[in-house]
Amino acid sequence: MDEQEIIEGCLGGKAASNRAMVETYGTLVLSVALNVIGNRQDAEDVCQETFLQVFRRLDRYDRERSFKTWLLTIAYRRSLDMLRKKRRFAEFSARARFEPAVVGRPGDADPADPAPLPSKLLEVLSPRERTALCLWANEGYTAKDISEVLACSASTARVYLFNARRKIKALLENDHGLLQNG
Amino acid sequence: MDFCRTVERLYAALPLRPFRDWLIRIHMDRCPRCQERLLSREEARSLLVRSDQTGDAAALWRRISEEAGRLAPAPKAKGNGGRLAWQWAAVSALAAVVALAGLWLLRETAGPGFDARAIVPADRFEIAYVKVGGEPAQTFVYHPQGTDTVFVWAQKTP
Repeated sequence: MDEQEIIEGCLGGKAASNRAMVETYGTLVLSVALNVIGNRQDAEDVCQETFLQVFRRLDRYDRERSFKTWLLTIAYRRSLDMLRKKRRFAEFSARARFEPAVVGRPGDADPADPAPLPSKLLEVLSPRERTALCLWANEGYTAKDISEVLACSASTARVYLFNARRKIKALLENDHGLLQNG
Repeated sequence: MDFCRTVERLYAALPLRPFRDWLIRIHMDRCPRCQERLLSREEARSLLVRSDQTGDAAALWRRISEEAGRLAPAPKAKGNGGRLAWQWAAVSALAAVVALAGLWLLRETAGPGFDARAIVPADRFEIAYVKVGGEPAQTFVYHPQGTDTVFVWAQKTP
């Protein structure tokens, strides 16, 4: 099933096409979310929200644009929402001075599943810089492609990417202690 | 080398994105020395999670399908039109009974002599407004699922 068939099927509400879309692009969306957020469970939540939004709003997709870029734009925005939510809750819990209980979700975690987390080095980057670096390195995106996902100008995207590459390289060259954790 | 340092100083001195972009395009993207001080694509890939490292996409679908199933239309049944019609009739009849019962209850309670104060207010948390330092404050209400606990966090509006 090619991309156009999947899109047409999803527009027609076919469950098989929805499944094909998740199986075709799921790992891509999950990897971007994981690189931006840095937490597997939150990244899976973002991945789910992204696809549900795609299924609901697929009729708004402009066929002139790349579907992958449109999908990654949604994933990026959902990731930013998740980071904002986490930051707000972290501020709240710091002020309230209580330890939130860690609640396991049975069935979610499978020890056999690979659950790699991005390097700690990425924490020095802003979410926009992490996204720019991820799209450039993993997907081969240019500054113009990245600018579509980040909803900014190509020159701004180029600066985000440049800063990301420079910061991480400087840390690597300085033999930063975080390397051992990465 | 000196030119590279000058460009770097200019880059650091003027945090204007168009200016920085211009410096990148006219020098840093082309200069081998400056490129050596940037992370290569291969180095970046070694730090990032790639899509082939995230696991099985089918597992993702299992997670999403429950929610997605609500969006997808139910498959059309073939050859059971009669049974479907009966189901629709039964559901419609039940809905009519529920609606009539509701109307009857409303009619009873709306009659003369009804005392509105006798109704026990619902057990719910309400907050009209919160002030901090005499000013309306930003208020966040957190209700952990499955508990009766409600956290209210108010802070000064920036």
